[in-house]
Order: sequence, then C-alpha cells, then structure tokens
Amino acid sequence: MTGFELPVALFLLANLAASLWRVLRGPGDANRLLAALLFGSTGVGILALLAFSQTPAATPLLDVALTLALLAAITAIAFAQRAWQRGTDPKRADD
Amino acid sequence: MIEIASSLLLFLGAFFYFAGTVGLLRFPDLFTRLHALAKVDNLGLGCVLGGLALQADNLAVALKLLLIWPLALVASAAISYVIARRADALGIVPWRENEK
Amino acid sequence: MTSALAFDLLLAALLLLSAWQAMRTPHLGRALLAFVVFGLLMALAWARLDAPDIALAEAAVGAGLSGVLLFDAWRAIRNKPDSGKNAGDEA
Repeated sequence: MTGFELPVALFLLANLAASLWRVLRGPGDANRLLAALLFGSTGVGILALLAFSQTPAATPLLDVALTLALLAAITAIAFAQRAWQRGTDPKRADD
Repeated sequence: MIEIASSLLLFLGAFFYFAGTVGLLRFPDLFTRLHALAKVDNLGLGCVLGGLALQADNLAVALKLLLIWPLALVASAAISYVIARRADALGIVPWRENEK
Repeated sequence: MTSALAFDLLLAALLLLSAWQAMRTPHLGRALLAFVVFGLLMALAWARLDAPDIALAEAAVGAGLSGVLLFDAWRAIRNKPDSGKNAGDEA
C-alpha cells in the first residue's frame, strides 16, 4: 500500500454522493437509470481500493468487485427493459 | 519507483472519475450524460485497477485485477446500448444546440 | 487514519440518506432505486468492516437479484389495469 488508497476511495465516494444527490432528487426515470451505470464502475473502483488499503491486501474483496461488476449490469438492464416505460414521467421524459 | 507509478495512476483514475461526475452534473440530456459516464468512468476504473495491479504481491492477484476491467467495459457497453436504444424507442430526442 | 474516519462517516451518512429515501418517497420507482443503492452501499460497508463474505452476499442479493425482482414486480403492478392508480405513477 502507498497510503493513497483510502483518500482516493474517499474521493470516489464523494463523487458517488454528489451524483446520488442529483440522481435521487432530479426528475425523470432516465436520470435515475444513469445511477445504475455510475454505481457499477464507481463501486468496483472503491472495492478494489478498499482491498488494497490494508497491508496484506484483502484479495477476497476482489471477488466482491467482480460480482458487483456483473450484477450491476444485470440490474441496470432489468431497469431499462422492465421498469422504464412510456407512462412513467410524461412531462419530463427527456430531462 | 513502483510506488510512485502506482500513486500517479491512482490520482489519474481519480481525475477521470471526477471528470465523469462533472459530465453527469453538467451535460444537458440523457445521451450526452451516457457518453460521459460510460467512457470516462471506465477509463478511471482502468487507471485505478492498473495502479493497484502494480502493487500486487503475486501474478494471480494482478491478473484478477486486470480481469475486472474488461468485464466492466463489456458491462458498461451493454448497459449503454440498452439504455440508448430504449430511450430512442421511447421517443426521446437528442439535444441540439440551437433548439433550447 | 483521518481519511478512514471520513470515509466511514460519509458512508454512514449515505446509508442513512438512501434508507430514508427508500422509505419515505411516494414515488415507487424512486424508492426501488434507493433500495438498490442502499444494497450497494451496504456491500461497501461490509467490505469496510472486514467481512468480505457478507459483502459478496450483499452485492449479489441486495444490489443484484432483489433489485431485478423488485423492478419486475413493479412492472407487473403498473400494467394491471385496475390498480394503475395506486402504483405510484403520480407524485
């Protein structure tokens, strides 16, 4: 470890918080759909950084990162295909 | 030397993640935000994973780290394709500079 | 050490925010997405607590499969013609 893993993970979590605020508060299902995409990549990054923030690297956390990368994709595709329909947000559909 | 290179890659990855967040917050519509998130965030993830793979103790851990990246690339490409095609099917018009 | 404390505090705050959002929002889709976000943040919390097995289970079940099942159920509720009013489309 170089000592920078946990600060970088904190920075990524702050990024996640900023876009989470925007996504949960903002109008439209489309914006919320982008959250799933964002949480996939950022969550995997945070998990990998957490795995290497200890002196013997916690390699089981890399398996968690792999699982998360796979299942975030499945969730996002399910949301896009199943839950995102025409009548959901009639006025703000494109915003 | 390896620690310096690893730290540089970590900071580069953090910068790309930050660029992705700024893109999500500032871009005008769904398609441009998709463009920002799907590309820039995965580049940041690649930089972070590469920086961590430099610190790995043995080859198996480094290869597992570098295996996560193609999986994330494939997943994000698939999600972006599904979202963009669904948005197109729902009749969402892409943003143009002159109209709004 | 101080960035570890800041990480934990921010993670706890985000957990509380997403849990509150999942419980209190009247919009059903927003509540479902907040629940999925809560599952992902909970997986990060278990990883931070040195429990990678529970983190693996939480990432697979909480953020993955139950999210898919809930989205599917939401569509089934919304497409039923008699209960369309109560499906949380408005508000």
